[in-house]
Amino acid sequence: MSLLARALSLTPLLAGVVAVPRTAHAQTLEDAELLRPRELNATVMYGHDAWNKYWEGSLKRDNGNIGTVTTSSITSTVAYGVNGNLTLFASLPYVSTEASQGVLRGMSGRQDFTLMAKYRVFNPLIAGRARLKVLAVGAAGVPTSDYTPDFLPMSIGLHSKSLTARAAAHLQDRTGWFFDGFAERMWRSNVTLDRSSYYTDGQWIESNEVAMPDVAEYRGTLGWQRGAWCVPVGFTFQRTLGGGDIRRQDMPFVSNRMNFTAAHAEVMYFLPGLSGLRLDLGAAHVLSGRNVGQSTTIMTGLTYAFHL
Amino acid sequence: MRSTSDRVGRAMDLTSIRARHALPLTVLAAVAALASCDKTITVPSASLPPIAAASVDANAGTWKMLVLTAPDQVVVPDPTATSSTAYQAELTTLKAAQAIMTDAQRAAVQYWTGAGVLRWNEIERELVARYNLPPAPSADGSYPLPDAENPFGDPNFPFANPPYASRAYSYVSVAQYEALKAAWFYKYKFNRPAPSKTDPAVTTVIPASTLPSYPSEDAVLSGVTAEMLKLLFPAAVDEITRKAYEQRQAAILSGRATASDVAAGLALGKAVAALVITRARADGMGAAAGNGTMWKSLADAATARGEIAWLSQETPKRPPMLMNFGTVKAWTMTPAEVTSLEPGPPPSTSSPEMRKDLAEVKQTTDHLSRDQLAIALKWNDGAGTATPPGHWNAIASTYVREARMSEVRAARVYAMLNMAMHDVAVGCWDTKMKYFNPRPAQLDPSIKTMIGLPNFPSYPSGHSTFSGAAATVLGQIFPQGAADFDAMADEAGISRLYGGIHYRSDIVNGKAHGKRIGTWVLNYLSTDGAN
Repeated sequence: MSLLARALSLTPLLAGVVAVPRTAHAQTLEDAELLRPRELNATVMYGHDAWNKYWEGSLKRDNGNIGTVTTSSITSTVAYGVNGNLTLFASLPYVSTEASQGVLRGMSGRQDFTLMAKYRVFNPLIAGRARLKVLAVGAAGVPTSDYTPDFLPMSIGLHSKSLTARAAAHLQDRTGWFFDGFAERMWRSNVTLDRSSYYTDGQWIESNEVAMPDVAEYRGTLGWQRGAWCVPVGFTFQRTLGGGDIRRQDMPFVSNRMNFTAAHAEVMYFLPGLSGLRLDLGAAHVLSGRNVGQSTTIMTGLTYAFHL
Repeated sequence: MRSTSDRVGRAMDLTSIRARHALPLTVLAAVAALASCDKTITVPSASLPPIAAASVDANAGTWKMLVLTAPDQVVVPDPTATSSTAYQAELTTLKAAQAIMTDAQRAAVQYWTGAGVLRWNEIERELVARYNLPPAPSADGSYPLPDAENPFGDPNFPFANPPYASRAYSYVSVAQYEALKAAWFYKYKFNRPAPSKTDPAVTTVIPASTLPSYPSEDAVLSGVTAEMLKLLFPAAVDEITRKAYEQRQAAILSGRATASDVAAGLALGKAVAALVITRARADGMGAAAGNGTMWKSLADAATARGEIAWLSQETPKRPPMLMNFGTVKAWTMTPAEVTSLEPGPPPSTSSPEMRKDLAEVKQTTDHLSRDQLAIALKWNDGAGTATPPGHWNAIASTYVREARMSEVRAARVYAMLNMAMHDVAVGCWDTKMKYFNPRPAQLDPSIKTMIGLPNFPSYPSGHSTFSGAAATVLGQIFPQGAADFDAMADEAGISRLYGGIHYRSDIVNGKAHGKRIGTWVLNYLSTDGAN
């Protein structure tokens, strides 16, 4: 299941924001599913995210000088089952941004490459009817182009290198109901700007280097899977562990404290007659946030699975 | 046999488990490595050492005054003799305080000693950046004016935009320069030696010079700067006051001044500030925001000349920034002299030259290289920054520090630089409003910008004008940097074309305008006695 579920956890970010996203690393990586040994999945996913309201610190507002900010992305992901307990993912999005009003130029380019390893720690049967899977997940993200993070909300990303550690669990009943959850922490490297000074979080700093606060993310999903269908629905919480607020009528800044709570729903369908082809359709909406856009995201993806 | 094969089987299992764990373990190790790395940002100036001035500039009390009528316009009372009981008691108190210095006090001594002008300039850059935010629109589409009587409100007062900032930097620098020249006058009038010269048990962080200590230059700076900054940035009164107190404490703990040196310096600094503030209250800044009637008449005048008048590209439409700043009093020029240095008109909005200029902006922004984008961002100096004048103050600071200048000579550098940039702001804003020329994105809505679009007319480029003047002034004071300053001025200018917000003619004419004003200010001060 669920490249899409995973993707959705990231897209609010990706789209999100006044500040765009952190890396698209979560693309395809949110669920507890592992590939079979020597199974290879190739996915192309299209994301469309838009917002016309954002939170300036905790103040929700609109802004006639940007109107609606739209972020589109095309993400290519390859996943490989090394063995029954370990799946590797590699993912790279191409992102472009656009504002419907005002004079700010949209930007586009290759964003951040993510490599992820998902490892099944144990997999017991509970009460003879439900399977529990516990996973340890590690990921690394690195920008693949020299896009600037200093033009938010039009920048395509934050240009920070990152490492992520996640603990995930998946409990699935034999009737098809399942619950997914994870908690993760992302460590982010400092970012370098093209200017020699900046003001953020109550401080004027005469340096081109910006300290990036780390990020915690939590996710809970309830879903149902039967036959060719799988439908997960859930909530994602992102909390940036530091950083300043956007000040009144200021521009957003790369190290802002970007928080949000988003609801997301997804439908996956394994196309009949075409073995190994899966269609994903999903949506997410930010319910509340801080220094992010109130984005609504639509994602659609096509995955082809085959054995080596 | 059976047990052997079991053992082999188990061994193989272990091998494969290790292999399977290898990758996650590597990832976890990398995560741990990143998690433990230090994210602290090193700000170069924060930990720079105290400055021992290369020269005491003993004759600075004779340098020409700019606002004060004479160096002794403010009277400083005679000090007590160093042999007096009162002075000896001050020394005893000083030594006792030195004996129990806290780490924070030691850090303050390192921070302030010999670098008061530099430190206050840094602090002012921070204040400008903090208050450099435009008012947000009200629900009815209007923009509230920042109110000096309600500085903590929304919007904060001030909106420290480039003209406001250029004036603020200049008032602080001029007031510091006036106060320090007066201090030098009295220092050499009274010739009270530094505490460590009268009592060897007083310790110093830098070797005591021959500079007399009464009144304390550190206390003069604390008094004059705090008063000026409280006028200009009233909502920051808390930290301004704390910083000023810290500087006076550091003067004593560094062994450079006694309590009476500090008291006399503080009083002198505040009295000089009061004189400079009298000028500031009458310089026309109160009317600089203009009004709706003026806005309309500026636009109508451009239309009547057959030109396309500037239109705000913001939603809702915002009045042009400080549209009446061109009538604010300059430091070195009469209004007629301001006009005489201004550039002629821009190419007509219907001329082939303007079409060519516009096409160049379109072509450049549509094919912008990453290096060009970096230059646009480097010199953006937009909302939330110290502004272009602040950027040039930061550039000057490196040279001032390297030259190990006395406080009074450092103050002279900033006074010259900032008087020039204030006079630039006056001349540039006057020219902008006179021609009311549209920005590229107005004439060609397909032009999108890589930086925020300033909300005032295009011609000439403020960045170029500020930079032309700054490079001219700094180039004469620091000839070794002249070529670099000029290259920086060119880069600052062209950055506005890369950003998509200025035509080449704005930039070329702006820089030339700035150079004329820079030269004018240098001439104005060429006989001030400091060279």
